[in-house]
Amino acid sequence: MALLEIRGLSKYFGGLAALSEVDLDVFESEILGVIGPNGAGKTTLFNVITGLLPPTSGRVRFKGEDITGLRADQIARRGIGRTFQASVLFGQATVFENVFTAFHMHYQQPGWKAFLRAPSARAEEELIRRRVMEVLEFMGLAPLKDELAMNLPHGHQRALGICLALATNPKLLLLDEPVTGMNPVETTTMVELIRKMRDGGTTIVIVEHDMRAIMSLCDRIAVLNYGRKIAEGSPEEIRNNQQVIEAYLGKKK
Amino acid sequence: MRLTISWRTSGKLAGLLLVLAVLVLLPLVIRSPYLIHLLIMTFIGVVLGMTFSMLFSTGLITLGAAAFYAIGAYTSALLTLNAGLSFWLALPLATLMAGVIALLLGSIIVRNPGVAFVVITFIFNAVVVEAAGGLRQLGGWGGILGIPRPDPIPLPFYGPVEFITKTPYYYLMLALLLLIMLVFYALYNSRIGRAWRAIKLSPALAETLGINLYRYRLLAFVIASSAAGVAGSFYAHYFQSIIPEAFGGWTSIYIQLYSVLGGLDFYLLGPAIGAAIMTFLPEFLRVAKEIEPLITGALLVMIILFFPGGILGTLRQFPRLGPASLSARLGEIKNWLLSGRNLR
Repeated sequence: MALLEIRGLSKYFGGLAALSEVDLDVFESEILGVIGPNGAGKTTLFNVITGLLPPTSGRVRFKGEDITGLRADQIARRGIGRTFQASVLFGQATVFENVFTAFHMHYQQPGWKAFLRAPSARAEEELIRRRVMEVLEFMGLAPLKDELAMNLPHGHQRALGICLALATNPKLLLLDEPVTGMNPVETTTMVELIRKMRDGGTTIVIVEHDMRAIMSLCDRIAVLNYGRKIAEGSPEEIRNNQQVIEAYLGKKK
Repeated sequence: MRLTISWRTSGKLAGLLLVLAVLVLLPLVIRSPYLIHLLIMTFIGVVLGMTFSMLFSTGLITLGAAAFYAIGAYTSALLTLNAGLSFWLALPLATLMAGVIALLLGSIIVRNPGVAFVVITFIFNAVVVEAAGGLRQLGGWGGILGIPRPDPIPLPFYGPVEFITKTPYYYLMLALLLLIMLVFYALYNSRIGRAWRAIKLSPALAETLGINLYRYRLLAFVIASSAAGVAGSFYAHYFQSIIPEAFGGWTSIYIQLYSVLGGLDFYLLGPAIGAAIMTFLPEFLRVAKEIEPLITGALLVMIILFFPGGILGTLRQFPRLGPASLSARLGEIKNWLLSGRNLR
């Protein structure tokens, strides 16, 4: 059974089909790439899976459970994390505070105990502070923990975005253009990090325009064009797929 | 340098204790009941401003703060007059009432942040005022008169504290203010406050991190409204009479002004400074009551246009001088330079 099963998923904005009858399976411990020209519906796919947008029709099942129509926070609690395309961060907060906030789901102690500063709640908060530092160190951001997120250079903002998603400890992580706008060195580092995350047991779906990164990273690739899935297969199959080539380069006359 | 750093950390606490000491000793120095009255009104204003700021901290703008102020005042007045309860029992019940009504209303309206929330809270405020004015059981437009003073507090050794002069009211309101501030402070510094800030800074990101926007906003709405209820209850027994007009939409705009003037990013200190200025300044300028709204409106527009950070936000923007600020700035530059190498 697939970890994530998408069946007949459609999303219309007025008369425009951003997603149209998409079927897609994501299997445990794989890295699945989703590619396609601009406006193909890749980000909409992520928004619908994570509950930020309701689908027009179709179902999404995660670990066998139907999660269609749940709120974004409910879906996050079931183990789906994501990063955003633009650097969507808590810009006015420090790097540390960003990740600290992202650990929201991991508190076991009730909120009133945290409010009253009960010893058990304080101990828990201390533990989470340490885990925040672990995540920051893992992503190489520890020395920048007191900087405001909005003041970070682009590459570091991307890394912070991944820190936030990692802090939720997702079973399935959706990465929206994690290396776009990065220089080759940063890209290599990020590709390594994504591999490391997968080896740590996280299943990953990645939307990206950087073909070199996608081809080297992904086990399988799905291609969207005008909201439809036009191909799915190994990187080798996708590279030689006539429909995909046409979608990107146009038909030969 | 070490001296300046240690001053900055312990300085906050020292400053706080100093202000507290001044506030506690003030009635011993000030003989004028009029000034004491203005201070009491300031304290009430601070509480109300803090309720606006709490909702603002979750990305909600309310124009209905005065509605819950009214609910607290009317509940307390009616409970003492009609049911014969003591103020000391009516105060918590009025707080509860404001909270329960906020829970009922909030469970519907916090789902629609943005303009819808602003409009609905404003309309709710108007409805509350109309209800108080229109229903004879609630006193009508003439209001409620003869609301009893709080029962005396029997203090050991000192004897009973009677609520006759303004001084006991001053200490009562100061105590209520400090209690509410403490509760709010603890909330802001817990994971609840962090969730609120996250919702304000980026609702979509907060939600994908598992934060239930609806529940956290509702929590803020209920807590803030309860605090407004406390202020309302106190007000009713301090003035011993209430009229619907005191809680109109204009009052809600005033409350908003306290927070905006002081600084919207300073959830406790902002309303404190804003309320103090807005209470004392018109009195000292001896502004005619008729043109006061004009000045208030102009002030609000000017602050939003030219000083969006309010007083505290504007002060913070000025770079601090001295070695501490210099070394901090150098540290920033160093971090920034080092940051380039970090990912590699």
